[in-house]
Amino acid sequence: MIKRLIAGGKQFLGLYPPGRRVNVFPDDIFLVSYPKSGNTWTRFLVANLVYPEKNPDFSNINQLLPDIEEMSKRNLERAARPRILKSHQYFDPRYQKVIYIVRDPRDVALSEYYFDIKRCAIADDFPLPQFVSRFVRGELNHPYGTWGENVASWFYTRRDDPRFLPVKYEALQVQAMDEMRRIAGFMGISAGPERLAFAIERSSADRMRELEKKQGHLWSSTRETQQDKPFVRSAKSGGWKVELPEASVAEIESAWGETMRDIGYELAVSGLVHAGMGKGQTSGSDWAGRAL
Amino acid sequence: MAGIERGLGLQRPGRSLLILPDDIFLVSFPKSGNTWTRFLLANLRFPDEPATWANIDRLIPDPTGTAKRVFDRIPRPRIIKSHECFDPRYPRVIYIVRDPRDVVVSQYHYHRKIRKIEDGSPIEKFVARFLAGETCPHGSWGQNVATWLYTSEGDPRFLLLRYEDLIANTARELGKVVDFLHLSAGPAQIAQAVERSSADRMRKLEQQQPDKHGLFKGSRRDLSFVRAASSGGWRSGLPAPMVAKIETAWGPLMQHLGYELSSHSTSGVGEYASLGVVTAAPR
Repeated sequence: MIKRLIAGGKQFLGLYPPGRRVNVFPDDIFLVSYPKSGNTWTRFLVANLVYPEKNPDFSNINQLLPDIEEMSKRNLERAARPRILKSHQYFDPRYQKVIYIVRDPRDVALSEYYFDIKRCAIADDFPLPQFVSRFVRGELNHPYGTWGENVASWFYTRRDDPRFLPVKYEALQVQAMDEMRRIAGFMGISAGPERLAFAIERSSADRMRELEKKQGHLWSSTRETQQDKPFVRSAKSGGWKVELPEASVAEIESAWGETMRDIGYELAVSGLVHAGMGKGQTSGSDWAGRAL
Repeated sequence: MAGIERGLGLQRPGRSLLILPDDIFLVSFPKSGNTWTRFLLANLRFPDEPATWANIDRLIPDPTGTAKRVFDRIPRPRIIKSHECFDPRYPRVIYIVRDPRDVVVSQYHYHRKIRKIEDGSPIEKFVARFLAGETCPHGSWGQNVATWLYTSEGDPRFLLLRYEDLIANTARELGKVVDFLHLSAGPAQIAQAVERSSADRMRKLEQQQPDKHGLFKGSRRDLSFVRAASSGGWRSGLPAPMVAKIETAWGPLMQHLGYELSSHSTSGVGEYASLGVVTAAPR
């Protein structure tokens, strides 16, 4: 009872991060993705684009682009407007402007695997295939649903909405300038090529790795984790082709093949998506070409 | 105050509700037959205590309308009412879907009852807000339905029911719920639940208990909550241009659900055609 009273008081004072229950303002911009999909990198890109004078790094990124799961309700409501907020939430009808980062789930699985080892959520020698099964079933220690659920909940509700900007992690890697131009335009920032290039340069994997070495202990996501294992890992796509066993690839593709194809991720294991319902194929590729 | 309320468990849990692994959620967009289904399920699960407007919040609780202390005392497995968009925490879901052309008419009249709009308020304006998802805090009809279908259709822990089928053959549809929840109810119990949840009985109870439910508080007494309790009313109650607007916005999704389109103005059929193929991962 006393504990609950204290909790009630703390909640009343707004000392807890609100997470899903964040108060949304009409001018908020949300940077949303499933975990391990390039959210941190995009956060650096956007921070370096919007606040270059603040020298964004791991020590101030949580202030510049607040995380609704990290910053207290009180501080979130005091943050300068318009706020750019980081979120991993599945569809929330209250979010107005959304930049949604999506990444190939086969790489996401691998990235989550190494991150869970780093933060001691699983043992260093935990078998990868077993981890992928957990990943597909959504048995991870976070409340954001499965990759398929999170992605589908946003794409199939908002894909035609001008206030929704889907960004592929893979596209961000191969054509950062183009994607950054889309992001800047979406946010209403008029930035020339120099400013875009500057933001990309300041958010390179090399620079982020160096910052992590110096500041890993300062940032909430890396603070109490194994410091010999990096948060900024390979920063590449397609690692699954080498590292993921075929059975694991098949497991992922049979769970979410249709959504993956709709977004434009080619399936490696053929014959998984049922024949005879090919109508989805045309709409899928259509859409992938249009929106991404 | 907030601390004291919490200490006594008087607050309504809302999204902070502690979800238990055997919970069952009765989910729908508003005005899609959720209250009727709530009565049906309450009468099925608790045959010794016929559902009324006075006890329904205790029998099938609502996280935004039932106090936390009540939640903590409900026998498990609990059946919980919700209008939320997709939520991965819900362990089992019965999702009621209704033709959006009827939903908009129903919501229009409901907003008159709860004094959100005036009697002569133009339906055109209401439909525009309905399409934009501005008439309630649970997304638009299309968003709410899509979040559930694209994530969960085909999952054995997800049961999709159409309001129209419930109207046409209540006992048969309730039989699906009995199977889904592994209840032991036989045909006699099902028939009793249907009888106790009839529109006539619910209307009578509404007249006898006009102040027994949060839904009615401060609302107009001259309009009843239980209205026509039928499907297809949009054919006479909704102007053709409004029908066309709804069908243009959500035509493919409506067709996927078996709602025949009356206008031919929709293009892009196939946008949602991949729906049936989404194989949800077993959780």
